[in-house]
Amino acid sequence: MRAAGVIAGAILSAAPAAAQRALTVAPLVSLAEHRVDAGFGVERSLGPILGGVGTVRFSPRVTVAVHALGGSLFGSQGVLDRDVGELGVEASVITVPWLALEAGATRRAYSTKLGRQTWTLVGLGATARMAFAGNAIHGVWRAALLPAVSASGLRGPDRAFRAATGLAYRVRTTTLGVEYSLERYDFPAAAGVRRLEQLSALTLLLELRLR
Amino acid sequence: MRRLVWAVVLAAGAAPALAAQGSTAELLGQAHQFYEGLEVERALPLLRQIISPNWPFEVTRDQRVDAYKYLGACLAVAGKRDSAVLYFRAAIERDPFTDLDPSLFTPAQLATFAEARRRTLAVAVRPVQRGRVDPRTARVTFTVVATHPALVDVKLSAIGAGSPLSLFQGTMDGVREIAWDGLLADRRLAPAGRYTLGVVGRSRVTGASDSARVYFDLRHEVAALEDTLPGLDRRAVLPERISVDAARRDVAKGLGVAAAALLITGAANGDLGAGERGGADVIAAAAAVTGVVAFLVHRRHGAIPENVAANARRRVERDSANARVRGRNADRIAATVLLVSPAAGEGTAP
Repeated sequence: MRAAGVIAGAILSAAPAAAQRALTVAPLVSLAEHRVDAGFGVERSLGPILGGVGTVRFSPRVTVAVHALGGSLFGSQGVLDRDVGELGVEASVITVPWLALEAGATRRAYSTKLGRQTWTLVGLGATARMAFAGNAIHGVWRAALLPAVSASGLRGPDRAFRAATGLAYRVRTTTLGVEYSLERYDFPAAAGVRRLEQLSALTLLLELRLR
Repeated sequence: MRRLVWAVVLAAGAAPALAAQGSTAELLGQAHQFYEGLEVERALPLLRQIISPNWPFEVTRDQRVDAYKYLGACLAVAGKRDSAVLYFRAAIERDPFTDLDPSLFTPAQLATFAEARRRTLAVAVRPVQRGRVDPRTARVTFTVVATHPALVDVKLSAIGAGSPLSLFQGTMDGVREIAWDGLLADRRLAPAGRYTLGVVGRSRVTGASDSARVYFDLRHEVAALEDTLPGLDRRAVLPERISVDAARRDVAKGLGVAAAALLITGAANGDLGAGERGGADVIAAAAAVTGVVAFLVHRRHGAIPENVAANARRRVERDSANARVRGRNADRIAATVLLVSPAAGEGTAP
């Protein structure tokens, strides 16, 4: 949560410098579910996450976005509750009107009563946006590979990716987005046990264009 | 040698014409000298030779008028008033602008000349001088004359078009300058073309009538005008209504999002159990419904407000750009300069 505050402060302090650029902010709320199977069955925790995304458009084709999230995931059936916080930055370049290539890095932390685990994620991906007739609605498809993932106390995963899809409804300068996303991490087997982990979320996002 | 012979032949052929010019002018010059030396009796035969049909050399109009004028002056000095009047009238009929300089002729001669003018009605207009006139600050000037008091009507008309514009109507006696502002009866700038200025006079002394006419060409000198922007064709405007095909594609896009949500939650993480399956179902249902609703709405209404607004904005921008172009063109047209040049008749205008 502290990290989220730092990012929010960074966005607000950067705003005057970006006075001539298009700036949008998007508060968001997610219902996230974390699942992990470390050889003892699937542990599941679920909870709300709040945060925001600030986006600066440097040119019609290039944008940079930072995001900050934080929330609590409540474990089920003996699973420990955990807090989650995340900071990330992402740059995207529009290649054709409906497709943008993206690269970004995210720092995530899980915190339980027993300890704290931090993740660093580097992703490369693409986002396709296709307008519904009338241009007021967009269908969104995202896919990204996470070729560089490190998690404290764990070896890096063999396979990691993020996928998402959703809709964006635009009314004048405001866009309401709803999106389902999923991250999947398959870690290499250790002592005959293969660790699988995923984080899925249903996110509601309200994008406000400030200038 | 052959060249020399040809040169001599050509010189011999050209000599009579040069001599003819020289002969009339020479004789007229001698007559002037005799007149100025008060040798009227010696001047008279020379002047009579010039106006004689038997005079073998070319006599220009001005030379003939001059000969008649001096004949009249000589006869007036000699006391032959009736004959003097006759010759003065001959001069006036040939050139109504003929006049005697009071500093060079005696009061008796001037009186005789005035009598000749009184008996002869002639109206005339001087040929239009080539010129460049800015109608905002200057005028085209015509010089007309009536040899004695007459009711004169001066009209300007474009050849083959429109009704004539009356520039002067009234009594005049002598020379008068008439200014024209370059506008026609509708108060618009006269278009380029050939024009004629007609003068008709009716004597208030004798009741006789006379008329005269000159032609001139009028052209406009105006800075190059800008073209207005063309109308927006189909390629320049966005579609304002959604096509049936596009509406159908909305359904496909909605189903595409729904399928992707189900694919992600189902196929991608099957071994961990579907993660938050409910969320994916929400997205899938919302996308499918959105696609179908978009299809139905667009089939019924079909308008694309953003495109309608964008097109309207483009039309407004185009109209305002054209208004600015028209304004600049109007300023240039308002600064049109008239180019006037004499013409020979009603032939084709330039």
